[in-house]
Amino acid sequence: MASQTEAAVRPTTKKEKTTINPLKSNVVVGSLLPVTLIIIWEMASRGGFVEPHLLPAPTTVLEEVITMAQEGELWGHIWITLYRVFAGFLLGTGAAILLGAATGYIKIVERVLDPMLQALRAIPSLAWVPLFILWLGIGETSKITLVAVGVFFPVYLNLTSGIQGVDRKLIEVGRMYHFTALQQIKRIILPASLPSFLVGLRSGLSLGWMFVVAAELLGASEGLGYLMVFGQNTSAPELVIASILLFAIFGKITDEILKRIQTRTLKWQDNMENAS
Amino acid sequence: MLAVEKVSRIFQGGKAGFKNVNLSLEKGEVVGVLGTSGCGKSTLLRVLSGLDENFEGEIKTEANDPNQAFGMMFQEPRLMPWLNVWENIVFGTGKKDKKQEAFELMKTVGLEGFENHYPKDLSGGMAQRAAIARSLLIRPEILLLDEPFSALDAFTKMQLQDLLLDIFEKHQTTTLLVTHDIDEALYLCDRVIIMRGQPGRIESQITVEAKRPRKRGDSYLAELKQDVLKELDFTKE
Ligand SMILES: Nc1ncnc2c1ncn2[C@@H]1O[C@H](COP(=O)(O)OP(=O)(O)OP(=O)(O)O)[C@@H](O)[C@H]1O
Ligand SMILES: [Mg+2]
Repeated sequence: MASQTEAAVRPTTKKEKTTINPLKSNVVVGSLLPVTLIIIWEMASRGGFVEPHLLPAPTTVLEEVITMAQEGELWGHIWITLYRVFAGFLLGTGAAILLGAATGYIKIVERVLDPMLQALRAIPSLAWVPLFILWLGIGETSKITLVAVGVFFPVYLNLTSGIQGVDRKLIEVGRMYHFTALQQIKRIILPASLPSFLVGLRSGLSLGWMFVVAAELLGASEGLGYLMVFGQNTSAPELVIASILLFAIFGKITDEILKRIQTRTLKWQDNMENAS
Repeated sequence: MLAVEKVSRIFQGGKAGFKNVNLSLEKGEVVGVLGTSGCGKSTLLRVLSGLDENFEGEIKTEANDPNQAFGMMFQEPRLMPWLNVWENIVFGTGKKDKKQEAFELMKTVGLEGFENHYPKDLSGGMAQRAAIARSLLIRPEILLLDEPFSALDAFTKMQLQDLLLDIFEKHQTTTLLVTHDIDEALYLCDRVIIMRGQPGRIESQITVEAKRPRKRGDSYLAELKQDVLKELDFTKE
């Protein structure tokens, strides 16, 4: 009651509250359903409605994670998976920038390179695995290459379409200033295609995570993907679910980092997200 | 300074663009272009500036540096959306010594205090003013202006017209000014060219004898305005 009258007298305090509230309530509203489901799951497990050797209770999964973390073996698996994703991501992005920029700027490169890359893109990702293992062995190289292939295509496609979609009107402004080709690229084409490039980076990263799972499922002796296979072979569903959970967490964290970078560098964009 | 001989640029199989334009500008001369919408005024400026090279005829310039003679203000602001107002104004100068001048210009066009705004947060008129400042800053020998004040209120418009007068006075900039505002053309220009038709042709020319600066609402200018209106009349054949 007291706060109500206060809000009525001083509308500014009310305003401050409303600016904080949506964020909080978003988190609350968003976690309502998962939390309920987890509670139902836990109760179903304890009540014996689901068989623990198929679907262990959330608390069992959590215990498993904590024990592994305490024993120290978990960190090695997490570290190697993160390493594969990052190395593959950097490699794939680097190649995509080089080739994407070349096809975007130089007409002849586009005509030579693009049809082949479009055809390669049609190959399902897992089809590469045997070939890479054959060529590069079962070591890190083949896994990182596979991740890089996954990351490459979304980044490449978004970058080229970003470059080709740059507004002709803005390029003409550069021509009026007699920009050299390099200035034109640096001052107009690059910033103008940045939004599309960042979209490519984010979908590239999510594909990178997918490909690391594929690589680790099919031939690894460490990593979160390997933990899943191990859990399957030893009939330890809590291990599989724990790995899925960890993939979800790290996937979310890395995507969030890119998303922050995206909103920060694109605050000039006139879209719904930036509307205030 | 600029000689245009029998220049044509035709679109859509002869139904649009402009045809057979002859034009010559002395150094420091200010020429206005009036004409019905769609008669090819913007196209003419694009051809002159070198952005559109598919024209027929001949364009000669006597500039010190023929490659960089032209400066153009487009009909739309064309600000870089990723740069704020200040960065947009100094875009393309590259030199640091223009800073003071850029700041003065920004003040004159009334954008002081908005230097950190991005184009998405500007009104149409503010964006146009930023574009004016950007195109005036580089001081080309031949300035092409495509409806530079179309989105501005009457008062701001008058202020910026006087800014242009200042610049003409100080730098002897040869200028071609496309506008729909007859008063503006008569206030600023030595000569007014009237274009009509699809594709557009030069219908007639009116020389404004009065010396600059002129008085707005002058009776001589009012008389000229009647003539211009007669020339622009669609119904006349
Ligand atoms: N690239 C193009 N391809 C085909 N037609 C074009 C092209 N550019 C302009 N036109 C046509 O040429 C005509 C003249 O256009 P322009 O933009 O020069 O008109 P304008 O005189 O500037 O008109 P406004 O006063 O409305 O700005 C229009 O009918 C337009 O449709
Ligand atoms: Mg026009």
